[in-house]
Amino acid sequence: MTNKYYEFFCPVKVIAGKAALEHMPYELAGLAAKRPMIITDKGVRAAGLLEPVIAACEESGLEIVTIYDDVPPDSSTSVVRDIAGVYRSEKCDSIIAIGGGSAIDTGKAVNILVSEGGDDIAKYSGAGILKHPLKPFFVVPTTAGTGSEVTAVAVITDEAKGVKLPFTSSFLLPNAAVIDPRMTLTLPPHITAATAMDALTHATEAFTCMAKNPLSDAYATAAVKKVSQSLLAVMDNPKDTDGRLELAQASTMAGIAFSNSMVGLVHSLGHATGAVCHLPHGLCMSLYLPYVLEFNLESIREPLGELLLYLEGPEVYATTPASRRAEASISAIRKLRDQLYKRCQLPRTLKETGKVEESQLDHIAEVALDDGSIMFNPREVSLEDARAVLRRAWS
Amino acid sequence: MLAKRIQPMIFHARRLYVELMFQVMGRALQAVSEVDSEVKEEAQVLPEGFLFEMMVMPNGPSMIVEHTGLGRFRYHGDNAPRPVDLSIQFKHIAHAFLVLSFQEKTSVAFANDRMLVDGDVSYAVRMTRVLNRLESFILPKLVAERAVKEYPQNLHLPEKLVSAARIYLKVATNFVETVRP
Repeated sequence: MTNKYYEFFCPVKVIAGKAALEHMPYELAGLAAKRPMIITDKGVRAAGLLEPVIAACEESGLEIVTIYDDVPPDSSTSVVRDIAGVYRSEKCDSIIAIGGGSAIDTGKAVNILVSEGGDDIAKYSGAGILKHPLKPFFVVPTTAGTGSEVTAVAVITDEAKGVKLPFTSSFLLPNAAVIDPRMTLTLPPHITAATAMDALTHATEAFTCMAKNPLSDAYATAAVKKVSQSLLAVMDNPKDTDGRLELAQASTMAGIAFSNSMVGLVHSLGHATGAVCHLPHGLCMSLYLPYVLEFNLESIREPLGELLLYLEGPEVYATTPASRRAEASISAIRKLRDQLYKRCQLPRTLKETGKVEESQLDHIAEVALDDGSIMFNPREVSLEDARAVLRRAWS
Repeated sequence: MLAKRIQPMIFHARRLYVELMFQVMGRALQAVSEVDSEVKEEAQVLPEGFLFEMMVMPNGPSMIVEHTGLGRFRYHGDNAPRPVDLSIQFKHIAHAFLVLSFQEKTSVAFANDRMLVDGDVSYAVRMTRVLNRLESFILPKLVAERAVKEYPQNLHLPEKLVSAARIYLKVATNFVETVRP
């Protein structure tokens, strides 16, 4: 009998497509939520992305009680405590997080405090601490990459202790993720490119790492196809609403895939590079993806070869010998990166970023080796292996 | 009918096997930290007094080791002197048996959600590397290849035999000392 076993869980209602925002009042009412609070950041507000949300709610007679728009890029315990204070004083009964990873993680953490009580978010850190459902929580992503709207994890910095606190619970998952193309239409080209490469990496690692399973595979391949077909079209025509929706859906689907099958060495190196050199996460993903796939090649030849169908389409897949498909998949990803470099100078090597010193590579390798995602990489990774991948990614 | 009567005996044997393997692993962790420089190097990063536990949920067999400093471990049996810092918890005794009887690799067990990590994940990654190194030493290569993700290419037979002999000797000595009143 096979030893194969997997778990798959995603209870988030996905509300996606044209006029998706206008479904929010109905969905909130269905959860008896009458006094929602918006949690977002200044960039989202300045880009005018709150207006369609507020208008959609007010038109249906649902008043947004208060808006907190000062979430920093790396959210902290004190920010979470402050927002929870506002939520309580305004007698809110639900949360709408609008933004990228930081705003969404902050929304998740605030929801813990306002549902469970207290002011110290740190005491809920860890896995499986929460035992009850939280307040109604909706997420409206404004980037198409993180997939945070469908992940059961939040990371908040404890500035007093200087550590990042992880929170893991299925109760952190929002009741609904609202995917409306209007919310990503104004994303600048380099962020569009980096976040889409983040989604592509989520899907590729979900499909090739150790916890892959039939359900996450289905989401991962669909996400790869959507990114491959739509990313360059959106780069050439940023107002392409259909293309934007495809990328946003790809991000959500990749999020569902990787939150159920985890990720591998690309993320270990990316997290380490983010911590050491403060490079954006999506950019790190784009930088490392082909080099890690080359490192893992002999362990993932079959699934990686299969991805060629979704990366390049049926004609290229059919004309590529089965024994060459894995290499062809890596070439397709390299080609996509070259195209992105041409269009928005998205760096392809660490050197091209101009923000990483060659002397930092050893430190990045050491930090990467302790990252949780390395457990799910199909190949064992030694310090020397990590250094070798970094050297290849250098220039 | 016969199967029904035998089943409790099988469950009991499985539990005894897991308890025994935890005892061997705990003592072997202590021994390997005295023998192997790579394990010492890995362990040195852990805080002094760091308590590591492997256990079966909810109140099944367990094994506790402490990092006493300088990369050395001390086996504490199944009694922690204070709350543990890191706990790797099998969800069921059947899952612990799969891993400890080398039917499922530790890394695969993590990927298959057979176990949970309670504590700092980076320390869990480090302890998993230590456990892999230990298994590569003390198990015959054919068995070790079923237990670890990749058998270390730089571990050659003479080094393996010498280290394994030293580890087993220390484990046996520790067993005798523990049993003695």
